[in-house]
Amino acid sequence: MKTAWIFVVLGVAFLVAGSYLGLFVAPAEEYMGNVQRIMYVHVPTAWNWMLAVLYAFGAAIAFLFTANAKWDARLEAGLEVSTLLAFLLCCQGSIWAKPTWGVWWDWDPRLTSVAVLLFASIGIIALRGFVDDPHRRAVWSAVATIIASVDLPIVYYSVKWWNSLHQQQSSPQTVSSQFHLPLRLNAFGVLFLMIGFIMLRTRVANMNRARETALPPMTEHAGEIA
Amino acid sequence: MSGVITGGWSFVIAAYSLTGAGFLIYAISLIMRLRETK
Repeated sequence: MKTAWIFVVLGVAFLVAGSYLGLFVAPAEEYMGNVQRIMYVHVPTAWNWMLAVLYAFGAAIAFLFTANAKWDARLEAGLEVSTLLAFLLCCQGSIWAKPTWGVWWDWDPRLTSVAVLLFASIGIIALRGFVDDPHRRAVWSAVATIIASVDLPIVYYSVKWWNSLHQQQSSPQTVSSQFHLPLRLNAFGVLFLMIGFIMLRTRVANMNRARETALPPMTEHAGEIA
Repeated sequence: MSGVITGGWSFVIAAYSLTGAGFLIYAISLIMRLRETK
């Protein structure tokens, strides 16, 4: 628990430092001007969102092999944090798209494939809410997560496979060296924050599961017995 | 038309504010859920 909070505090510190450098120290990009500064939060969110989806995918596989409830708790946490990151990613991208492309949204392969995974994650979280039996819920959401994760390589390669409006992946190799530090600091910032959130959310899931399995079974005639 | 985007700070502020608010609201929701489970 303490470790999780250390990650959260570290994440916030890195994000504050990276955002300060990105907003006030790094120069504006030649063509995109100040709008390019959105990259310092958008790209780290995208990288870490992919990591969160991979984490949920790994937890789903591990659960199906082991049937250990701890993996289901990790899956639940990874799913929820990846949904948060996907939502932020779409909003940041939309805010960037308006001044650069002239539209808030375009049914471009990259944007569409991210939106598909965002709605799939929301659907799996909703599915978990509908199934009462903990084991059945875990199996169904693990299978659904594995199926949804097939979209991740499509997201990654969409800008290479199709004539996408979205630019190719950004990395320290593809951007000017003056942009490296804020980009890296924010990448670690989002990473630490994500790890902290996943650890805390896993704890919530484990405690909910323990409470759920500790409850006596409800019967139709419970009132009569009492 | 130079092809250069001028201004744009309002978009930058919106993107950073939204990101910060998203993380903050999620952190608060986690704290509340952690308290509920105790």
